[in-house]
Amino acid sequence: MKIRRKYLFYTLAFTSAIIAALVSAIDATIISLYIPDVLAFGLSCFIIGIIISFVIILVLSIPIKKDRSLGSIIIDPSFNRVRLVRKEEIKYHLVAGLGNACLTLGYFSLLFLMDGNPSVVLPFSQIVILYLVAIESVVEKNIPTLSEIQSSLIVTFGAILGSISLTGTITPIAMAIVFLVISPAWVLFSIYQRKLKMLKINKKPNDALNIRFWNVVFACVFTGIIVGVYDLLSGNSHFIAGINASIEHFEWVALTMAVTFFSYVFYIRALGIGKASVTQAVRASMVLFAIPFSIILSYFNIIPPFSTDPIMILIKIIGTTLVILGIVSFALTLVKAYIFIKVKPGYPIYETMDKLWEINGVTRVAAVAGPYDFIVKIRTRTLVKGYERIIRKIEHIDAIKEYKWQSVLKEWEDI
Amino acid sequence: MINAYILINKQPGDSDKVIKEMRKIENVEKISVVAGEYDIVVRVHIKTLDKLLKITNKLQLIEGVKKTTTQIIEKEIAL
Repeated sequence: MKIRRKYLFYTLAFTSAIIAALVSAIDATIISLYIPDVLAFGLSCFIIGIIISFVIILVLSIPIKKDRSLGSIIIDPSFNRVRLVRKEEIKYHLVAGLGNACLTLGYFSLLFLMDGNPSVVLPFSQIVILYLVAIESVVEKNIPTLSEIQSSLIVTFGAILGSISLTGTITPIAMAIVFLVISPAWVLFSIYQRKLKMLKINKKPNDALNIRFWNVVFACVFTGIIVGVYDLLSGNSHFIAGINASIEHFEWVALTMAVTFFSYVFYIRALGIGKASVTQAVRASMVLFAIPFSIILSYFNIIPPFSTDPIMILIKIIGTTLVILGIVSFALTLVKAYIFIKVKPGYPIYETMDKLWEINGVTRVAAVAGPYDFIVKIRTRTLVKGYERIIRKIEHIDAIKEYKWQSVLKEWEDI
Repeated sequence: MINAYILINKQPGDSDKVIKEMRKIENVEKISVVAGEYDIVVRVHIKTLDKLLKITNKLQLIEGVKKTTTQIIEKEIAL
């Protein structure tokens, strides 16, 4: 089936969003009915998460066709089988794991403070987009475009409005958790997972399934340390409570972690296609998907009932609309191009190839036989950046005799 | 397996129709409409050079395709 790569990206990000909304409803149910201790719940999630993720990844490692496993056919073509973490991955996993640990504990605390209502918590968590745009502009030495700033501000304001609970309250502690814990932690988590996805393992792209599994392992270690240290300082026993909760409520935590696994795998795959901020923007649509789940939860009295005050409902609608509007205006404004290159004789091909590959924005370098010597595929935000970041660098490579830029206007891809 | 880029020049006219025909061809991995010296860049993934010939032939038979230039990939690095 040939579809446009853009659609594959949206399909992955939206699927991840729907699953994430479902996860938050399951989490809310667990906090409300079974494990009200958020630190214990966080720890038990990762303990059981390791077991569940391992079982899933093991099943997905079953070879089906020659050289292809079940996971590579149905989830991520880069996946082969479960493997040990590589030395070059460790530093990224340490940061991403710490990010996930802080994010999860912050998110559960927020869910607890907001009476477990996902339609209130999820919009609030979308503020991270503002952080991502800022970080990307620093990391990629890339000034954000006006539309990127506008869209992320729209999402942020929408998120603040959408997060006002239907009883009309907004708590400063919740605000602090979102701005100081969840968002910075999510940035670490997201940027470093993307770095992992961009790594090459045995000269092949890294796969989302192993990244997720090892992230859960590292996050479990960090959560254990955070909860343990907190227990030592405060004299509580959340650590023991977490282990007990893992045994007593295994089935519920296993359910949420199994569903979360797939949400993140799709998210990581989408991250490998689009920029972190754009992926996050699309995933923000979970705000909309969370509403039906919240209605179901309130119907079963798991969370407090919705207010029928028209002003509150109006604010909620405006907030959600702004978040969605922000996402739409964030629609990919990516410029793609081919550069056809002819080289001078007397320069080693491999060296030139590596120099081309090192250029920021280059997604593919092919040494070819025919009228040209290299075909390079590039991806950039604007044509100006294409000139500044790519053409200038190509012109500095001595071996290059001639190059031709071919902007891609539209593309179809076999998936 | 062999990967190749086929660079296509076409006559001015119904681009949509040409692309529609290309999308039907097996082993075509990617079709990019481009602006510049060429009009369309097709990426193919085939088992043998014989298959490549068959695909090139099919592409050349599409009404509106003026010229094809085949570039066989010898080595590749990609994300």
